[in-house]
Amino acid sequence: MNTTKAPAIEVRHLTVSYGARPALLDVSVTIEQDQLVGVIGPNGSGKSTFIKAILGFVKPDVGEILIRGEDVQKAKGDVAYVPQRGAVDWDFPITVREVALMGRYQRIPWYRNASRADREAAMEALAMVRMTDFADRQIGQLSGGQQQRVFLARALAQGADILLLDEPFAGVDAATEHAILEVLERAKAAGKTLVVVHHDLTTAAEYFDNLILLKQRLYAFGPPAAVLHEELLSQVYEGRLRVFANLMAKEGAR
Amino acid sequence: MNFLAQAFWAPLTETYFQKALIGGCAVALVSGVVGCLVVLRRMAFLGDALSHAMIAGVAGGYLVMKLLFGIEAHAPSMLLGSLLAAVLTVALIGLVSRVSRIKEDTAIGIMYTGVFALGVVVVSMFREYIHIDLMHFIMGDILGVADSDLWVSVLVCATVLSVLVLFFRHFQLATFDPVMAASTGLPVLLLDYALTSCVSLVVVSAVSMVGVILVVGLLITPAATAYLLSDRLDRMMALAALFGVTSVIGGLYLCVWLDSAGGGAVMLFCTLQFLVVLALAPRYGLLARWLRLRRLVPQQVVEDVLITALRHEGDTPLSVFHQFVQQPADLPRALRQMVQDGLLSESADGYRLSEAGDKEARQVLRAHRLWESYLASIGTPREALHPAAHRLEHIRGNGTVDYLAEKLGQPALDPHGRKIPPRQKNNHRKP
Repeated sequence: MNTTKAPAIEVRHLTVSYGARPALLDVSVTIEQDQLVGVIGPNGSGKSTFIKAILGFVKPDVGEILIRGEDVQKAKGDVAYVPQRGAVDWDFPITVREVALMGRYQRIPWYRNASRADREAAMEALAMVRMTDFADRQIGQLSGGQQQRVFLARALAQGADILLLDEPFAGVDAATEHAILEVLERAKAAGKTLVVVHHDLTTAAEYFDNLILLKQRLYAFGPPAAVLHEELLSQVYEGRLRVFANLMAKEGAR
Repeated sequence: MNFLAQAFWAPLTETYFQKALIGGCAVALVSGVVGCLVVLRRMAFLGDALSHAMIAGVAGGYLVMKLLFGIEAHAPSMLLGSLLAAVLTVALIGLVSRVSRIKEDTAIGIMYTGVFALGVVVVSMFREYIHIDLMHFIMGDILGVADSDLWVSVLVCATVLSVLVLFFRHFQLATFDPVMAASTGLPVLLLDYALTSCVSLVVVSAVSMVGVILVVGLLITPAATAYLLSDRLDRMMALAALFGVTSVIGGLYLCVWLDSAGGGAVMLFCTLQFLVVLALAPRYGLLARWLRLRRLVPQQVVEDVLITALRHEGDTPLSVFHQFVQQPADLPRALRQMVQDGLLSESADGYRLSEAGDKEARQVLRAHRLWESYLASIGTPREALHPAAHRLEHIRGNGTVDYLAEKLGQPALDPHGRKIPPRQKNNHRKP
């Protein structure tokens, strides 16, 4: 265990390119532990490349990524990933219990079956997201919010301290959104660091401790009040400013 | 009785039948298991491609052994050749779809026909040296399995099955969520190639029995059949293995009784088996789907019942419902369902709203009266208000009712001077 509290994720001068076009250009961010961080930016702004980089999937042209002070390539499995709902095959023959158990797979040697401790850990994770009652359902039979919670449970079962969520609030209704947020808050209270790709600027200020505003370059990183600036947003979201003018007015009124 | 015993027992005493049964079952069992992963990864077309590509490998292996060592029809090297051809084809497919704008399905089509054609040309060019019967290759001959083929098949199947069982979790995770698999450090690409090799091995050993064309069926049909019946991968694999074995057994009897081609009979039986399951599967079958749809009570009828019961107050007899519900055909089913859902209670004199039903009914009534107010506000004649609102009251999803109320300035009374029930936050069920 690291006694000195290294930052959860440290990105230093990260540049990633596909051909001549940089997906990310000189991005440096330090995310401290126990934080709920939102990643915002328009489509094609490099949000998914950013996520992939933290998972260690892309080779940076320049720069490095440290997960709790260790190079990302050596930290495989220390970052748990919660996929976008659209990326999952919901007809896959698998139950809620098995999905949660998948979080434990990286700890089980290939020659051994899942132990009782593994099964218990999976059920514990399901209890944390209040999905114990659905343990034997096939995942396609759940509602959108429940599905999201199952994958959150898998990430919790993984025991990783850093959770990466790709648009968890996409396509769920307001009540579900709050239920998911509550689970995120509880995970944070339990000492997890959560990095969430988010598309809805109207709720971003309310949900997150810190925001990362990306569009190839890092435009801003900090508390929502500092990031959700009309000037900054108009730079990043050119042309679609009118929407945000309203939003700014609302933020001001609050 | 005697006739039946004869029909089932007599073939079993024949050596060719026994060999076909053993070899066929081994191959079908394993191809069912590996087929599950093929189906779930949507690689069915790739299975087809592998079976065609292997002819080039078989010819290559044959030729190398013959020309270099003078050994005729060396089975292991032909197997190795097919495996190489299969892996090469997959690599080529990946290359073409990665570096060009050509999509993967087209790349598969191009590459496997190309490699297949190469095989055909080589076999016919060197027909002096290579004794491969193309017809046998294409149609297979399950009843003429040679002992050496049988051994190779059984060995291959045992190997593949062991790999799949040992690394079940790895294949499951890499198939279900490759991103997560990679993020935990699982060698996803290696697993992909391992699976492709397993598929090729099974396909290679199955081709001599059912032929190039039908082998993909043996790979995916039992798996697809099992897919309709199970919600867990391990059970799906077990069922697929079972269906593979039953189709070989059933198909072989069919072939003996009808005196038909072996491979065809096996696949025919396999397909029939699939169709039966498709029709009858308890959850994902057609019959179940039809029954589910039939059981579904239209929301409109439910709402009509609610509002009728609310207006009538107390126990509402069936005749009153018949008078006011727009689709009386669905009425008995709707009433039964609503009693089950706790919206209504049944008594000797008719039906009475429960507390939840009463709440729900008031919301429908609110929608009805707000629609009436809205219609009046846009100039609908007074006598048309009620029938139009009766149709429109069912449109109340997505905040429709709140919108109407807001637009009309939260009216307390409808155009007929009746009170509009207030908005209820916790609906019994979501609209």
